[in-house]
Amino acid sequence: MYKKLLVFATIFILAGIFLKLYQNFDGSKTLNKTASYYAKNGASEVGSTNIVTAIVVTYRGFDTLGEVTILFVAAAIIGFFLKTNAKGTNRIRNLRFSSEIMITASKILMPIMFLIGAYVFVNGHLSPGGGFQGGAIIASGVAFFLLANPTLSVNHKVLSVLESTSGLIFVLLGIAGLIYGGGFLDNRVLPLGKFGTLFSAGIIPLVYSFIGLKVGAELSNIISSLQQIQKEE
Amino acid sequence: MEYIGLITGFILVILGIWGFLTQKNILKMIIGFTISDTGINVIIVSISYLKNRTAPILNRPDLLTDTVNKITDPVPQALVLTAIVIGVGVTALMLSYALRLYQEKNTLDINNFKDLKW
Amino acid sequence: MVNPIHIVSISLGVAFFLGFLRKANHNLTSTIMLLAFAANAFISAQWLWAFIYSNTEPFYIFTAGFRPPYSISLLMGRNEAIFTFLINIAGLLSGIFMLKTYLRHGVYAMMAFLGLILGLNIIILTRDLFNFFVFMEVSSIATAGMIILIKNVKSVSAGFKYIVASSLISILLLLGIVFIYYFGGSLNIDDMITNHLLVSKGAEVAVFLVLMSILLELKPFPANGWALDVYEGSLPGIGALLSATSATAVYFVLNKLLAFANPYWYNVVAVVGMISFIGSNLLGIKQKNAQRLLGYSSVGQIGLLLVILGFSNTLGEKFEYIAFGVLISHYLAKSGLFWLAGIVKQDNIKNWAALQKKPIFLFFMGVFLFTLAGFPPFPSFFAKWQLIMELSTAGMYAWVIGILFGSFLEAVYLFRWFGYAMKGEHNDLPMFELPWHKILPVVIGVLSVFGISYISKDWLPGGTSLNFIPLYFIAFMYLIDFAPAKVKNTIVILVITYYSWLVIPNYYNTDIIRLIFSSIFLIGAILTLIPGYLKKGSRKGFYPAALLMFSGLIGLVESTNIYQFFFSWELMTIGSYLLIIRGKYSMPHAFKYLLFSVGGAYFMLMGFGMAHAGQASLSFDILRTGVPYSSIIFLLIAIGFMTKLASLGFHIWLPGAYGESEADVAPMVSSILINAGVFGFIILMTHIPDANIGYFNIPYMLGWIGVISALVGNIMASLQEDARKLVAYSSIGVMGYVLFGMAMMSHLGWLTAITYTINHFLFKGLLFLAIGGVILRTKTFNMYEMGGLIKKMPWSFIAVLIGIITLAGIPPLSGYAGKWLFYNAIVLKGWYIQGAFIMFAGIIAFLYCFRLIYAIFLGQLKDEHRNIKEASVWFIIPQYIIIITIMLFSAFPQYVLNPIGNWLSQYFPNNALVWNGSLATSSLGYWNAFNIMMIVMGMFVVLLLFLLLVNRGSKKVGQFDIVYAAERPERPETTHMAYNLYAHYNKAIGFLITPWITKSWDNISEWVNTIANHTRKIYNGNGQAYALHILIYIVIAYLIINGGLF
Repeated sequence: MYKKLLVFATIFILAGIFLKLYQNFDGSKTLNKTASYYAKNGASEVGSTNIVTAIVVTYRGFDTLGEVTILFVAAAIIGFFLKTNAKGTNRIRNLRFSSEIMITASKILMPIMFLIGAYVFVNGHLSPGGGFQGGAIIASGVAFFLLANPTLSVNHKVLSVLESTSGLIFVLLGIAGLIYGGGFLDNRVLPLGKFGTLFSAGIIPLVYSFIGLKVGAELSNIISSLQQIQKEE
Repeated sequence: MEYIGLITGFILVILGIWGFLTQKNILKMIIGFTISDTGINVIIVSISYLKNRTAPILNRPDLLTDTVNKITDPVPQALVLTAIVIGVGVTALMLSYALRLYQEKNTLDINNFKDLKW
Repeated sequence: MVNPIHIVSISLGVAFFLGFLRKANHNLTSTIMLLAFAANAFISAQWLWAFIYSNTEPFYIFTAGFRPPYSISLLMGRNEAIFTFLINIAGLLSGIFMLKTYLRHGVYAMMAFLGLILGLNIIILTRDLFNFFVFMEVSSIATAGMIILIKNVKSVSAGFKYIVASSLISILLLLGIVFIYYFGGSLNIDDMITNHLLVSKGAEVAVFLVLMSILLELKPFPANGWALDVYEGSLPGIGALLSATSATAVYFVLNKLLAFANPYWYNVVAVVGMISFIGSNLLGIKQKNAQRLLGYSSVGQIGLLLVILGFSNTLGEKFEYIAFGVLISHYLAKSGLFWLAGIVKQDNIKNWAALQKKPIFLFFMGVFLFTLAGFPPFPSFFAKWQLIMELSTAGMYAWVIGILFGSFLEAVYLFRWFGYAMKGEHNDLPMFELPWHKILPVVIGVLSVFGISYISKDWLPGGTSLNFIPLYFIAFMYLIDFAPAKVKNTIVILVITYYSWLVIPNYYNTDIIRLIFSSIFLIGAILTLIPGYLKKGSRKGFYPAALLMFSGLIGLVESTNIYQFFFSWELMTIGSYLLIIRGKYSMPHAFKYLLFSVGGAYFMLMGFGMAHAGQASLSFDILRTGVPYSSIIFLLIAIGFMTKLASLGFHIWLPGAYGESEADVAPMVSSILINAGVFGFIILMTHIPDANIGYFNIPYMLGWIGVISALVGNIMASLQEDARKLVAYSSIGVMGYVLFGMAMMSHLGWLTAITYTINHFLFKGLLFLAIGGVILRTKTFNMYEMGGLIKKMPWSFIAVLIGIITLAGIPPLSGYAGKWLFYNAIVLKGWYIQGAFIMFAGIIAFLYCFRLIYAIFLGQLKDEHRNIKEASVWFIIPQYIIIITIMLFSAFPQYVLNPIGNWLSQYFPNNALVWNGSLATSSLGYWNAFNIMMIVMGMFVVLLLFLLLVNRGSKKVGQFDIVYAAERPERPETTHMAYNLYAHYNKAIGFLITPWITKSWDNISEWVNTIANHTRKIYNGNGQAYALHILIYIVIAYLIINGGLF
């Protein structure tokens, strides 16, 4: 009883703090200086139509590096944390079969999902989307596959290799920016190309593609780790 | 318009924290956390909104001139990408913890995990 | 030089590369991981070297080819180099320490570890707020992974609580950061500072959220239940890593970010820190689990660092030095202790007695504990001294009290733990394993502690004046600790003799007081070391401890300013504690001794701080000029010295500590060490001649304390069965006389006190040596179990006889000089009531003197002692040297007392003694010691000759050839009246010594324990509750800072 009261009082005051934040928000009418800079110069300096991508991959590329690390570390931890006590990974588990609709739909939809995912991350610099979004779509494709075929599993080796390769290439691209460009992850190592085409914006398409693959691989890894230790019915 | 996003975000955060603090079931706590997380993401996006402007994707030629007055703030949109991914990572980790806790004690009640105290 | 961004590329590159090596040999992969850490450490070290020795400019790393605030920038400055170096080295050493764990778990664990270290490095280097958030999350997630490297339910639930707390904090942090961006328009820290972007109202709330989140990451008390569970539940190696690195990195970030906050945040940080420091250390007292205890200590130390940060503006340029000193001590000591926990593998602190199986680990543990507690010669001592001095200058006395109180509490639980380790029962505990990869980091830690102490001593003003040569000698003695005791004894005696020859003659004509005290300390050292020849084997650990004590003592005499004085005082405390704890049953007593010493030292430190406040010099003169607080300063420092003198109220440690110590340690501590207090009082009172607080005149009160100490000490001595305790209590009594004499603040009063000091040194040393020799032979220390030993141990008998004659003040020996001077002084001062008590106490002294000699040497010889030999010659030699000294002093006191009188005349010109050869004249009477000696010796010789003549015709009678009132006694035990000898006196005046002081101290310790016990129940183990604590903490902080909700 007292605990509920305490929780309520605390949350009430927290709401008060938020209210203060809210009250000072005035829905500004103009962009602040950082945003204005990006608006003015993003297109010409980075060569990408999608300004958000320009920020994510180039201007604040270092944050992306951190993001990639987070997913990577999380996947690694889940990997060793959820190692089962199973006697060999080849045991046949007696899991409930999924329905006919799922199995058929998965055969049709999975390739489409992969394609859409690939499209999203390859075109990250031209349209909304990017590596993370594309990778997530691909991973949901894999999840769909696992749901439809509960007895099958993904090949961890392939995923690991994919993950590591993509990651290493990302780091190498960054270092290339350091050596050939103005700083770590400078995208002007490759030519900026014609604005609005696929092969523009320097290394952004490359980076995003590899990020997409990496994220897809990692999320699939996580999902399959969780799937592996699913109990039998 | 922008206020709606902000208010929704704040309400989600508060709801999430409330769930986090009062639910006994670990899975419900985790769901509370994800609701808060979503709330924060909504707040971040709403901050970037400016009235009558369009997304910062310059795929129309008329956006290439006087861009400063035509697009919304791209920075929070970039930040929210990162925040979402971080949320995913933390949620995945929390879920694995919940799994392992359940395996150890066959219960998901947070009050049963008071092994270390004082 | 290598671009620091390569810390990122190396760590991430290796982490990704390890993904290819999933199935590879784990030895290979772990080596690769360690190489990565070594590379990182090398990069940091390279930059650190450049900053220190080449005066390089700080290096900005601009990513993406654009400038901030439009891209993310990183900074490698001198402080960043130091902190990243610390993190990387900790990573390397932890990796080595936990090698087996990584070998077992494989590449995934290594990847998480690399991520953790990377995250911590970047949060130090980054200049962008959101970037900080991202890498903070990297570290949190990696930490959550590290916690579960052991997969039991404790660690999993600890890990879950960690994630719960950490995600709550990060939600609020993210909210704050986003709104800072909104209100400020930039995410770059440098931009925010230079352009004062955060001045609007809304920005204040956002800054509040960000700074509070960072403070919460530092685990402040009481919102830190989750952190304690993490420390308790994870592997010790992880505990070491987290304690040393996570908090260090976040602390650095807090320092970075405070630059753009409103100045009142410094006050917030200081308050948060102080609450954490005191609260945590208070609760630490009740801890029994070693890792949890270390967790509480970690939280406490972070609290202290926060206080220092909060005062960084007040501390000015000294801030970095102080913060670094405390930080590096915490970093090394905590890692070391956690690593030891990983080696010993005992959860309960009592079971750390297992360390006794390999004593060098006790040495390691001791080094780390003393570093943590702030003792010299470790960096924390220098930092704490400077901190107290600076805060006192700023007048922040409440904070000084808080810091000293918290430090005292920490000393309580740390040294109780050490006592268990040193003296606990270890026979049924298993021997712990010693894998090389676990020992290496510990050894590196210990060496680093000494290395950093060596470097840091020179950074402090006045630091170069400290004399470190004795410490090098002590280190040398420790290195040859394996040598036989006789060899080491000879080396030490020779060295001390040489040192005395160097030092003592300097004072010959200049400073009689220092001459006397340096002789007491040094010659006394030699005399009491001589019995050491008796010991077989190598007597491990004795010589470094004894030398520490003696170098501290002589350092006191040689010191010319308060800094050197305090430094030596603390060294002396360490040495004496380590000596006392060697006794068989001495653990609780040594603990009490240390607590009283540390407490007294802190009072002294505070007094010194107040005296120094604002003044440039550190010399003793500032005691004189420290007005208007000189009375309070006097009181504080006096309390410090009274704990050493065991004056009433602070005396409960003495009988146990001195009584239970080894046979040759007892003379050292009781006759030599105790005089440190007297010397201190001399310094104090010559600089501050009077002190009044309100209506109370402090010296007057000290006088009464002295009188009552004398009375109570003597009564208690008379009622003891244990010979050692008897002699120990008599020290309390004599020191009471000394205190009273000094409190009189008159010429004769001081002369009396100094004479008594010299006498006490001589007869107490003599008595303890004699008793020690007897006890070693009779194998008992209860006097009623001895008896009749006069025939078997005549030399010891004569020594004790001379000792008690001197003690009791019977002419012709020098004790009489003391008594004569005493009564002159009392009458001249006019303190008649005190005088009456003193006389009464003196009469009681006869009681215990008689008991000592009667119960041991007279009476009936017990059967088991029929074949006993005289005490060892190694005990006899120093006794007789002392006897000769006493004789000389008794016959020719003018050579000592006249110079003392001349020195005293500069302070107390009136009523001096006038010396004419050996005739001393005071304004009340006269005394000629030489004549008395001649007369008494003449009488003695005459009677002796007469006795010898008459004895020739006497017949020897058997022991039981006696008849008592028609009863024939059969057994020595029933005939020797020795047990409870003074039962009737006990009935008459025993009420004066009811142990209400002991009871009071016990009550105080009870209260503290109870408060600690009740408060720690808030950590009820429920992760949700901990999350609620965090939220309540934020909410309360907001209400206080904001002054209400709106």
